Amino acid sequence: MRLGYHVHGIAIVLGVTAAAPCAIAVAENIPVRSGPRIVAPNTVERAFDRAAPAIVKLYGRGIGREHGYGTGTLISADGQIVTVLTLLSSRNGARVVLADGRTMTAKLVRKDEYRQLALLKIEVENAPFVELVDSEGLAMADPVFAMGNWFKVAEGREPVSVNRGIFSMRMALNARRLAQDFSYGGDVLLFDAMTSNPGAPGGPLLDINGNCVGIVGRIVEASETNTRINYALPSEEIRAFAGGDVATRTTSQSADENVEKKKPFVGIRISRLGFRHVSPYVERVRPGSPADKAGVQADDLVLAVNDDRIRSAKDYRDAIGRLAPGDKARFILKRGQRVLTVTIEIEEKQ
Amino acid sequence: MTRLVVTAFWFSVVSMPCIGAMADDDASDPYALEAAKARVIRAAVARAQKSIVTVETIGGAQPIATGPQGVREEAFRLSDGPTTGVVVSADGLILTSSINFARNPTVITVTLEDGRQFVAELLGRDEIRRLALVRIVASDLFVAEWAPSEEILVGQYAIACGRGLSGDAPFASLGIVSAVGRRNGNAIQTDAKISPINYGGPLIDIDGRVMGICVPMAGSGGALAGAEWYDSGIGFAIYKEKFDLVAERLASGEVIEQGKIGIFLEEDESVIRDFFEKLLPTKEQAVRIRDVVPGTPASASGLRKGDRILALDGQPVGDVPEMQRRLSDRAAGEEITLTIKRRWRKFDVTLTLARSEEMGKIRPKKYTDVELPKEVDDVDDPDAETEHAEPTTQPADE
Repeated sequence: MRLGYHVHGIAIVLGVTAAAPCAIAVAENIPVRSGPRIVAPNTVERAFDRAAPAIVKLYGRGIGREHGYGTGTLISADGQIVTVLTLLSSRNGARVVLADGRTMTAKLVRKDEYRQLALLKIEVENAPFVELVDSEGLAMADPVFAMGNWFKVAEGREPVSVNRGIFSMRMALNARRLAQDFSYGGDVLLFDAMTSNPGAPGGPLLDINGNCVGIVGRIVEASETNTRINYALPSEEIRAFAGGDVATRTTSQSADENVEKKKPFVGIRISRLGFRHVSPYVERVRPGSPADKAGVQADDLVLAVNDDRIRSAKDYRDAIGRLAPGDKARFILKRGQRVLTVTIEIEEKQ
Repeated sequence: MTRLVVTAFWFSVVSMPCIGAMADDDASDPYALEAAKARVIRAAVARAQKSIVTVETIGGAQPIATGPQGVREEAFRLSDGPTTGVVVSADGLILTSSINFARNPTVITVTLEDGRQFVAELLGRDEIRRLALVRIVASDLFVAEWAPSEEILVGQYAIACGRGLSGDAPFASLGIVSAVGRRNGNAIQTDAKISPINYGGPLIDIDGRVMGICVPMAGSGGALAGAEWYDSGIGFAIYKEKFDLVAERLASGEVIEQGKIGIFLEEDESVIRDFFEKLLPTKEQAVRIRDVVPGTPASASGLRKGDRILALDGQPVGDVPEMQRRLSDRAAGEEITLTIKRRWRKFDVTLTLARSEEMGKIRPKKYTDVELPKEVDDVDDPDAETEHAEPTTQPADE
């Protein structure tokens, strides 16, 4: 196949005065090619065309004088919009700009403090919507497309932006939002498209077919790396939430607390020197305690309890909290330059 | 008006993505093509995975940066989460990034892909290339396969793998090779997302071979420099050859750091004095020494304020940034030769780069140890006699 392109060089005189005649002469000689597009098979384009009509821009309450903005995803023809829980999704109602440019005010239907999701509703008929499909089918390296109005660069009826990445894995994310812990403890989808930007949360994560496998979550920092992480809540959670199942942190916690639990006793006091990221060194071992019987000594460093890596005094407290009297817990300790394993029989706290 | 005729055979360009690995798939079906690509990436990661280890550290503290504002915490807060390493020898040598030990941890452990866990010993660190070598007592480890550097081309796929998130599999980020031979030829540049998730981990090619070790490598300064560029689309991975150059020193426990001279540089702006030089057919490019710090290799070897540096190791120096770039990966202990022009004389000065802790403490060599500057050019200079009579160790200020 041979294509010929005939382009006429055009002198561009915009803003160029007679004072610079040579500039025009140069411009004339630059070959201008209205480059032929490589018509590569484009799955992104198809996914985008399919999903874009169902993505809305949200505007509303922000912090201070700064106006809030975000992205929402239409998941039903009757105008249900799923987005993340922010000030935007307060009861005052967010301003919704649809892909076709129509502006409406959304009502808050329901919110989920645990998953950090909000369900909004606009009065509309036959709205375009994205189809939620199972995220379980995603395999590592599968292409994913994330859409959203990052930094509110899309204005009016301009479509939101799309980024391409690959899916990497699903895992429970140990993360923080500012100083607070990330409340959601279920699995999230991790990928390498950049979505940790203002305005991105609430947009869909699409699979290769343009179906929604997840909703991009709020900006958080992973505790393990101290870096912003790109993730989405899986479609299964979105579907459960939209269907009326609201998981809140308080209910899941109280369920645990209602069970009468016997408190474990180990007999180790961890050093509390400093206040940030304290290494879990043993300060004192109570004589006659389970730890004493197992041979734990002061100045030992606790590396792991039952294969849970212990990095801080807080990790240690959490790990002990998971033990019950009667358990035989495997402690990995560092003493001097040696690493040793002891088994401690947990007793009941009196 | 010029009429341009542009012809091209675009057909061949369009058909290029259909590489051999996808022979089974209908190349005209974009979905089959994407599926095949995902399969190829999965296979590449699976092949490399056996040589990727989890490196964990316990204890230590946030590194402190000392700057003009005094002591402060680094802008980037290093986490104490897991990091990544690559097995480079069957008997337990593991290559990773020095940033993973910036906290000076008390304990280091290495977990192999099969789940076996070891206590590791930190051998040496290369703070220039941000590499570190640790050792575990083990045998018959699966050693990473390396891609020959000369085969690495701009535009080819690059996958950054890391164990920085405690998932079941390594986290993988797909990108391309954005540039080769970056950072004085030390690194490959990639737009795969490089972050604490994969510092110390491998950047692999589509065949699962390691092209380089992912490191933070932007700017200079503290132990965490470059980490602020994480996930930016500008990531770096160090070539195998560059590790090989320092492998023995790392294994013997050396800490390789950028060497210091003890001079402040400025551009050599021409002044009236240089008027006559301009009349010469070729005016030499140079940078000028703005100041010499006492107790440094520069002061000890007799460099003076106002000296012009014409060349570094025989290669002409154009301007200050170029000089700084060429010095950026020269380690303390290495020798460099500066070609100096002082007034009308030209001579070479060879000096040994110092560690930062040695700065300010280096005593001038005894006068008798110093070779007198060699006259290189034959410019007739009335001052030459007296200049020669001076010991080169005299303080710089005149």
